[in-house]
Amino acid sequence: MKKRLSYFIIFPIIPAVVIAGAVLFSEKMYAWISLCVVFLSCIPFFLAFEKRETSVRRLVLIAAMTALSVIGRIIFTPLPGFKPVTAFVVLTAMYFGPQAGFMTGALSAVISNFYFGQGPWTPFQMFSWGIIGFIAGLLSGQLKKNKVILCIYAVFSGVMYSMLMDIWTVLWADGYFNISRYLMAVVSAVQFTIIYAVSNVVFLLLFSKPIGKMLDRIKEKYNL
Amino acid sequence: MKNYNPFVLMFYFLAVVIISAFSENPVLQISALLGGILFCAIVTKSSETAGNIGFYVPMFFIIAVTNPLFSHNGATPLFFLNGNPVTLEAFVYGGAIAVMAIGVMLWCKCYSEIMTTDKFLYIFGKTVPKLSLVLSMALKFIPMYKQQTRRVSRAQKAMGLYSSKSVTDKIRSHARVFMAMVSWSLENSIETSSSMKARGYGLKGRTNFALFKFGADDLILLAVIVILLGVTVFGIITGETRFYYYPRISTLKFSAAYIAFGFFSLLPFIIEAKEAIKWRYYVSKI
Repeated sequence: MKKRLSYFIIFPIIPAVVIAGAVLFSEKMYAWISLCVVFLSCIPFFLAFEKRETSVRRLVLIAAMTALSVIGRIIFTPLPGFKPVTAFVVLTAMYFGPQAGFMTGALSAVISNFYFGQGPWTPFQMFSWGIIGFIAGLLSGQLKKNKVILCIYAVFSGVMYSMLMDIWTVLWADGYFNISRYLMAVVSAVQFTIIYAVSNVVFLLLFSKPIGKMLDRIKEKYNL
Repeated sequence: MKNYNPFVLMFYFLAVVIISAFSENPVLQISALLGGILFCAIVTKSSETAGNIGFYVPMFFIIAVTNPLFSHNGATPLFFLNGNPVTLEAFVYGGAIAVMAIGVMLWCKCYSEIMTTDKFLYIFGKTVPKLSLVLSMALKFIPMYKQQTRRVSRAQKAMGLYSSKSVTDKIRSHARVFMAMVSWSLENSIETSSSMKARGYGLKGRTNFALFKFGADDLILLAVIVILLGVTVFGIITGETRFYYYPRISTLKFSAAYIAFGFFSLLPFIIEAKEAIKWRYYVSKI
C-alpha cells in the first residue's frame, strides 16, 4: 500500500514540474526541467527500496556490487568509455532482481562521481544506469538462459546509455531540446556508442559465467 | 566554509545553483560565475588551476559559439550561413548559456570539495537510512577492496604465479586476482551483514552519531543567507530581473536583487578571505 502511495505521489509531481517549468520560465529552461524530471523519476525507486528491502544481507551485497563496479570504472579510467560498470549492474539485476539492479546502477553513478566529479550530469547517469539495471532485472530469466539475448541486451544498453547521455549534452549546450543538434550529437558520439556496446558485450561475456556462478552459490548457501 | 553545519551548506549550494540556473538574467548569472571562480580558486589546489583554466575556457567558447549555428531565432541577422541567418541574439544567448553552464559546473566542483561524503551521509542518513547505509558501505568497500587486491596479488607473487613476462600470462594473473577479489568481497559482505545483525542493526531505539553541531556561527550564516536570498527572490518574483534574448535583447533595469545576489554568491569568498586575514594577523602577533 505504501509503495503504491509513493507512486501516486510521484506521478502527478513529474507532469506538475514540467507544466510549472513551462509556465513560470520560458521554454529555454528545458535543461533544468528535464534535470528535475530525471531526478524525480529516480525517487519512486529509492522509496520502494527503502520500504521493501528488509534483508541486511541483500543490502550489504548491493553495496559490495556497487563498490566493485566503481572500482571497475576507476581501474579503466585510461580507456575512455570502456567500462565494466554496466556489466556489474546487469549481473546484479540478473541475480537479485530489478530493484537491486536499479540501486546498483544509480549508486554506482553517484559514488564514482565522488571520484570523477559531481555535476548536473549525475542525475542523468543515475537514471541511465539505473534503468539499464531495472530492465535487466525484469528480463533476468532470458538473460541467464541465453547468451545471444545477453549479448543483444549488452549492445542495447550501450546504445541506450549513449543516447540518454546525448540528451543531456544537447540540453546543456543549448538550454532546450534541439532535434538537429541531438541528431548530430548522436552521430558524432557514434564511436563512443560502439565502445560502450563492445565493452558491455566483452565484460558480460567474460563475467557472466564465473561471477554468475559465485552469485548463484551465495544465493543458495545463504538462502537469499 | 568547511566547518559550517552541512544542512546550512547544502541549502546555500542549492540556492546558488538553482537561482543561477533558472534566472535568465545576465547580471545574476555573471555574479554566480564570478563567485564560483573565486570560490574555486580558494578551495582547489593551486597546482590544479592551470588545468582547470585549460578545461573551462575552451568549454566556454565551444558552448557560446555553437549556439548561433543551431539556433536561428532573433531579429538582428549578422550574416547568412548556408542560407540560414546567424543572429546577434543567438550569439548573446549562447554567451549567456555558457556563463550559466560554466558557473554551475564550477559551483558543483566547489560542492564536491566542501560537501565531503560524511556530510552528504549526515544529511540523508535520517530520511533514507537504508539507502545511505548502502552508500556509505560501498564507499568504505572501495579502499578496502583495493587493499585486499594488493594482498591477493602479493600472495600470488609469493607462490611464483606472477613471474612470467608474457602478456597473456600477465592478463591471466590479473584476471585470477580479480576473480578471487569478487568472490572474497561477496563472502565478506555476507559476514559483515551477519555481524551487523548480531550487533542489533535494525532494532528500534538506536541512535546515530555525527560530529556536526548547529552553533552560533551556523545561525549567523543561515540568517545572512536567508536575508540575501529573500531580497533576490523578491526581485525575481516581482519581475524586476526579467530579461529576454528573443526576439530582441531586452534592456536591464536596476534592482536590489543584483546587489543581494552579488553578496550572496561572494559569501564563501568573503568568509574564506576573512579567515585568511585573521590567520595572518594571529601569525604576525607571535
